[in-house]
Amino acid sequence: MLDVSRVQKELVEIDRDKRISGVSITLHGDDISHLSGTISGPIETPYEGGTFQIDIQLPASYPFEPPKMQFLTKVWHPNISSQNGAICLDILKDQWSPALTLKTALLSLQALLSSPAPDDPQDAVVAQQYNQDYPTFVSTARYWTETFAKRSSLGIEEKVQKLVEMGFPESQVRTALETCGGDENLALEKLC
Amino acid sequence: MKASIAGKREERQRRQNYRERVKAMMSQAIPEKATTMEASSEKAITTEESSDKAAIMHSEAVAESVAASVLEDWSNIRDDAIIQQQNAIIAEEAEKMPFVGDKEALSALAAEYESGSSILKEKIKILEEKYAAIRRTRGDGNCFFRCFLFAYLEHVLESQDKTEVAHMLNKVEECKATLLGLGYLEFTFEDFVLSFTDLLEGVIQGTEASISYDELLDRSRNASISNYVVMFFRFVTSAEIKKRADFFEPFIMGLSNVTVEKFCQSSVEPMGEESDHVQIIALSDALGVPIRVVYLDNSSNGPSKLDVNHHDFIPSSTGSSSPNVTMLYRPGHYDILYPK
Repeated sequence: MLDVSRVQKELVEIDRDKRISGVSITLHGDDISHLSGTISGPIETPYEGGTFQIDIQLPASYPFEPPKMQFLTKVWHPNISSQNGAICLDILKDQWSPALTLKTALLSLQALLSSPAPDDPQDAVVAQQYNQDYPTFVSTARYWTETFAKRSSLGIEEKVQKLVEMGFPESQVRTALETCGGDENLALEKLC
Repeated sequence: MKASIAGKREERQRRQNYRERVKAMMSQAIPEKATTMEASSEKAITTEESSDKAAIMHSEAVAESVAASVLEDWSNIRDDAIIQQQNAIIAEEAEKMPFVGDKEALSALAAEYESGSSILKEKIKILEEKYAAIRRTRGDGNCFFRCFLFAYLEHVLESQDKTEVAHMLNKVEECKATLLGLGYLEFTFEDFVLSFTDLLEGVIQGTEASISYDELLDRSRNASISNYVVMFFRFVTSAEIKKRADFFEPFIMGLSNVTVEKFCQSSVEPMGEESDHVQIIALSDALGVPIRVVYLDNSSNGPSKLDVNHHDFIPSSTGSSSPNVTMLYRPGHYDILYPK
């Protein structure tokens, strides 16, 4: 059984200082085991200015097992799959501890964006580029941030309006956006 | 040419900046001390890369193909498979051995080594002179804490030592204050504290909350209680090590060449991480409970008479009281021992 009261306390805590921490979490609906995290790209990195959506699934034995986290926003980084957003980070695996929280995990992801570990890669192609052609890595990562991580910084209502203006019914638009973690492009594909 | 060298230098500087920034962030990120972190989300990039529209188009093309595959890929994440496999192994292990086993005569230990080395057989004979029984624990990396949990509470249950309970409750309060002082948030440890104090108060008989010996054994075998108490001990151990970082640092550096902070994060706080001298000293000191560890291994001290070594961990606060918690250590594993 998921420790619901612990999760609720975490949500309250993370909400309290989301403006200064740069990380936040929203509920997906009624299911408290499925959450959406947001982290802002760290300054002085190719991710600066971007807002990154993280899908968070809590296993039933949370906090004894790590939360499952995955980038929904596409990101060019040696430790994050450019294909599916899977993350290579020790605290999300065997180094997880119940002493950690969803907030510390998101902050660690933010730190990972600042400090890639190309020798322990999730995405071999990105890691190779990072090691062999660093300037190209930086500009690619920056393009990806510009292309994917800035659009999703539009408010959800603005996205809804945009898609409704394209002629889709509002209820369907909202459902589509929700299942796509707020990504309007994915939502559009779903609607078409 | 010059420009490219300058460019490279700039990139190097950038990388250096990343690293420094990360160090700062990591130290804030764990534990929860990150409240002062700058809000970087509002700072949008204004310097636009004006060149290479083609590259952007390329990115978009990649993005579209990626987009299509994102949702399908959800179900086959590699980590999931690994965690599932680990859980399967844990479940298999669990069927063979509960967290805390039944009390067995020490002859059970001898039986285990029937075809073992003569040194071990000899040592077990020596053990049999002093110890009557053994209680095995599951080898899941938490065995030291699990031994401590059961041996300590069983001792309190048998002695009905109310002074000890009061003393321990004080220590628990001290530990909570230490944790808060270190920046841990109360909700991350309060449930684990309660799991322990419930058991501690329960083993004292004559109240509504009292529990029997069988109940204590049941609860020690129940994951949602046992693991919570183990986690409480991990918090206590970690807090003690951090509080007395100057004392523990040389041991930790000698052992694994990592910082105290990193050691606690990677070798104390995660479930399943095995315990060694550093953890034993810290737990024993923090809770004021003396622990004896008896070592059974293949070592011998030459031709002189064979002996079984033990070490008493006596917390500074309790003077020279003799241990009520005794464990048998075989390389990589702890079980509970019962003196005659």
